[in-house]
Amino acid sequence: MNFFGILIGIITFLIIGLGFPLVIRGERYFGYWAWVYMMSAGFLIIIASIFVQNDWLSVIVGVIGATFVWGSTELKEQAVRAELGWFPFNPASRKIKLPFADVIKKWKAPHL
Amino acid sequence: MNLNFLGVTAAITAFLAIWIGHMAVRKIEAESHNIKIPMLIAITLGLITEYFSLTTFNLQLSTALGILGITLLWDAFEIYRQQNRIKHGHAPANPNNPRHAKILAEYSTATTLDLLKRDPIGRQVSPEEAPKLITH
Repeated sequence: MNFFGILIGIITFLIIGLGFPLVIRGERYFGYWAWVYMMSAGFLIIIASIFVQNDWLSVIVGVIGATFVWGSTELKEQAVRAELGWFPFNPASRKIKLPFADVIKKWKAPHL
Repeated sequence: MNLNFLGVTAAITAFLAIWIGHMAVRKIEAESHNIKIPMLIAITLGLITEYFSLTTFNLQLSTALGILGITLLWDAFEIYRQQNRIKHGHAPANPNNPRHAKILAEYSTATTLDLLKRDPIGRQVSPEEAPKLITH
């Protein structure tokens, strides 16, 4: 019996669970235009996992990266949920302004 | 230095499993007359996938199957959660599905509209205004 896969599955499940607060708080504090930063961070983390020699750690790092990439595609919808009152609404004036936010706002945010 | 692609395998599997699962749960829940059947199928597929993950000694395959299996087990629960989203109006009800038609009759919050189908406008929206903003 090889328990590596099933344990990795459970660890992945727990890491993806952390994606929920990541999306909720990411949108609340930075705005949905943070998707560019979240997606870039995700891909960089996945690339970094290639250089991790330990198999367990490489998988954990890879899944954290995937969670960031997935989270980046959820930010726009999360902004709409907050506008609808399903989550606390934080106006743009109170959000932390990220570099190039005005430019990124003109791009179409990804949603899957 | 050796390159280790196990993390990339895990990342791709996790991303695709979440994405496909996400779409499948919404579609299957909307079409099913009885959600217990797809829930049972997802649980069975999840357990079979985990069995294959346990019995293979190829680490790449074991990782991919392990992640896919747990995702399928979670999808079974997500089908149930999706039904609750329908009741709250957080996902659109399918009036042609008798189970959803019953939810629409019983829950005043349920709606056939997908209120999330629009871009953010940067301000809070009232329940009356929300349907008018749906764009696509």
